[in-house]
Amino acid sequence: MASVRIASRLLSKSILSKTKAVPVAAVYGSRNFHFSAYGKKKNAKASDDISTQYPVVDHEFDAVVVGAGGAGLRAAFGLSEAGFNTACVTKLFPTRSHTVAAQGGINAALGNMEQDDWRWHFYDTVKGSDWLGDQDAIHYMTEQAPAAVVELENFGMPFSRTDDGKIYQRAFGGQSLKYGKGGQAHRCCCVADRTGHSLLHTLYGRSLRYDTSYFVEYFALDLLMENGECKGVIALCMEDGSIHRFRAQNTVIATGGYGRTFFSCTSAHTSTGDGTAMVTRAGLPCQDLEFVQFHPTGIYGAGCLITEGCRGEGGILINSEGERFMERYAPNAKDLASRDVVSRSMTIEIREGRGVGPEKDHVFLQLHHLPPQQLASRLPGISETAMIFAGVDVTKEPIPVLPTVHYNMGGIPTNYKGQVITHEGGEDKVVPGLYACGESACASVHGANRLGANSLLDLVVFGRACALTIAEQHKPGEKLSPLKPSAGEESVANLDRLRFANGSLRTSEIRLNMQKTMQAHAAVFRTGPVLKEGCDKIDAIYQTLDDVKTFDRGIVWNTDLVETLELQNLMLNAVQTINGAEQRKESRGAHAREDFKDRVDEYDYSKPLQGQEKKPFDQHWRKHTLSFVDPKTGKVTLKYRPVIDNSLDEQDCARVPPAIRSY
Amino acid sequence: MSFAVKRLVTGVFRAAWRPSVTGLVSSRGYRGDAPDDTKVDLIEIPLPPWEEKPDETTDIKRRRLLYESRKRGMLENCILLSLFAKQYLSTMTEKQLRQYDRLINEPSNDWDIYYWATEALPTPEVYQGEVMDMLKEFTKNRNHEQRLDAPSLEYLDKDSR
Repeated sequence: MASVRIASRLLSKSILSKTKAVPVAAVYGSRNFHFSAYGKKKNAKASDDISTQYPVVDHEFDAVVVGAGGAGLRAAFGLSEAGFNTACVTKLFPTRSHTVAAQGGINAALGNMEQDDWRWHFYDTVKGSDWLGDQDAIHYMTEQAPAAVVELENFGMPFSRTDDGKIYQRAFGGQSLKYGKGGQAHRCCCVADRTGHSLLHTLYGRSLRYDTSYFVEYFALDLLMENGECKGVIALCMEDGSIHRFRAQNTVIATGGYGRTFFSCTSAHTSTGDGTAMVTRAGLPCQDLEFVQFHPTGIYGAGCLITEGCRGEGGILINSEGERFMERYAPNAKDLASRDVVSRSMTIEIREGRGVGPEKDHVFLQLHHLPPQQLASRLPGISETAMIFAGVDVTKEPIPVLPTVHYNMGGIPTNYKGQVITHEGGEDKVVPGLYACGESACASVHGANRLGANSLLDLVVFGRACALTIAEQHKPGEKLSPLKPSAGEESVANLDRLRFANGSLRTSEIRLNMQKTMQAHAAVFRTGPVLKEGCDKIDAIYQTLDDVKTFDRGIVWNTDLVETLELQNLMLNAVQTINGAEQRKESRGAHAREDFKDRVDEYDYSKPLQGQEKKPFDQHWRKHTLSFVDPKTGKVTLKYRPVIDNSLDEQDCARVPPAIRSY
Repeated sequence: MSFAVKRLVTGVFRAAWRPSVTGLVSSRGYRGDAPDDTKVDLIEIPLPPWEEKPDETTDIKRRRLLYESRKRGMLENCILLSLFAKQYLSTMTEKQLRQYDRLINEPSNDWDIYYWATEALPTPEVYQGEVMDMLKEFTKNRNHEQRLDAPSLEYLDKDSR
């Protein structure tokens, strides 16, 4: 900590003195807030415990939620509603969360368009997960879905409606009736094309009616862990550089995905896996991070989605030789082959040296052979997107495209109640005080692949579950167990080291090295030697974090510092993703290995089970990966956890036994 | 509480909004509706109104707006606004900074900002002005540049310039 105490840091000193001059409790009594609850409760106080150079403010809450996207807001709202004194700590203003990007909708078997049953939704989700999903959690999610949607409607979320006033539901891929035998289901509820925004707005607005305290533009650094128990989080207030320890009996992580570990990604630049990394630094496992969903055609680098409708309208994919290569991979369907086939073929072209661009690392989507009127009328928005981000006039030039990360199925392992778990001695064990929900968590309802419109459902159902579980097991106002005065010291020391880091590699250089390596070695085309080489490269890049160079020595709104902290988080996610993928010697859902093309279950489900001997646990792959990292060295350790095959109630909802997945 | 203390206090924390009985309720459904919006999905739940930060120094405002330009809810705005900030933030006048602050922070839906900038939807009157014109022009990408990512922050490093 010596470096933290260097006296010459005038800026932080002056902030310290200011903070000391004003009792923090008084902060809440100011003109704008109309209440002084904090003053009365005395649950925020300035503390010199960690460092005299970084002012530390301690807060006490019943619960703290990290992240204010759909899942975090639902959890925070539920907790406040149940009377818990709740803090929501977020690096972004709530409506700036990436949930806003979700334009699709939310699945629930309401049966407004035709007869529907949540058990059919359950079946579709288990099948979509390629039997890697935990069926108790899928049972919980699909059964709760109608109630969760009706609840949102009651909160004021303005769902699109049918003529007779019911919530309108549209068709979405992967959703069927009658256990896959009754044709397409209409199960997806939406708010025009702004479902994500509407969800954020509704939950945020609603939570303000209760006592939720928002700490906006605070960057969470680490969990406060003691003896295997979570006692809150430590965060940096970006506006003034002060450090805040949020002590709480219950901590909910809802920080979103880690899409930015890859070069091409449809998520906002804020999807940096902060929560998964915090859990990793706490010595806890992440689950199934190798399962990453790709969309075949994102604009190269930028990641903006170019709809698959382009190929439906006659768009074709072209390699550096000007060849329409899909004719070779899928002689019949050609460019209309399934997502997986198209993504894989594109990647093989690139790997075999027929990519385009200076680095030969992408391909072209050609539309200019189509009549301009057809482009304008059938594919609105595409020409604008291509021009704005790729600088391409689609009536004359092809669009550079690449398979692009779209969703992370893996995350922090939880049970169906949202409690974070570890797996020891063959048993799932709850981590006291810690919960997770949303894309940062892995319940696991998506298993090896996520179905469209199941992710918003995941957010609200498990955000709500976290709140319900806490309300079931705790009471508002419980006395907090003591916290070591030095708790969080390491996090501040790390922050200080990064703030003054003077190595030879820029944050952006290391980040790009990581992203390009992940894209080249752990994207769609996965095979032993390529993955192995990728693991070695990523390991080497991990070591370069010690040589990082930052330039902004300030503390107020230090974007350079925040992006370097985010890079540390991304790296922890990257090493687990690629090592998990290298070790998983099978193809399942979104994880497709060229050298192990089949799914490896405990039985061969393509044949009659009679007479087959069950493979032992270490010889099949129908199991969850649990990954741990030593943050100092970047070394990854992998363990495995069995998939939960039982639903919550076999009588009410029969488990779906594994079968070969075909659509 | 003295004015000075209040200033300091609101500067130190940006937290704990609760619309109380006495106000903090915006009169519109939500900020940033386009004028010809059909309002079919109008949300009636009020959010606390956006507030300017009149006491912030210009330097701090630029630092904040840099962060807020790069960290958006959706990818398209992350790229667009971070590049726009690289080009214009350091030279914006105080008045332009205030316009920009309002434009990127008041509307609650990032898509609206994107649709206004790309002129897919008309810009509501409150957001029209020099900065919006600059953003619309910037969005047209007349030089056909590849806009693949947020710019690396090093352009701000005085030592490497």
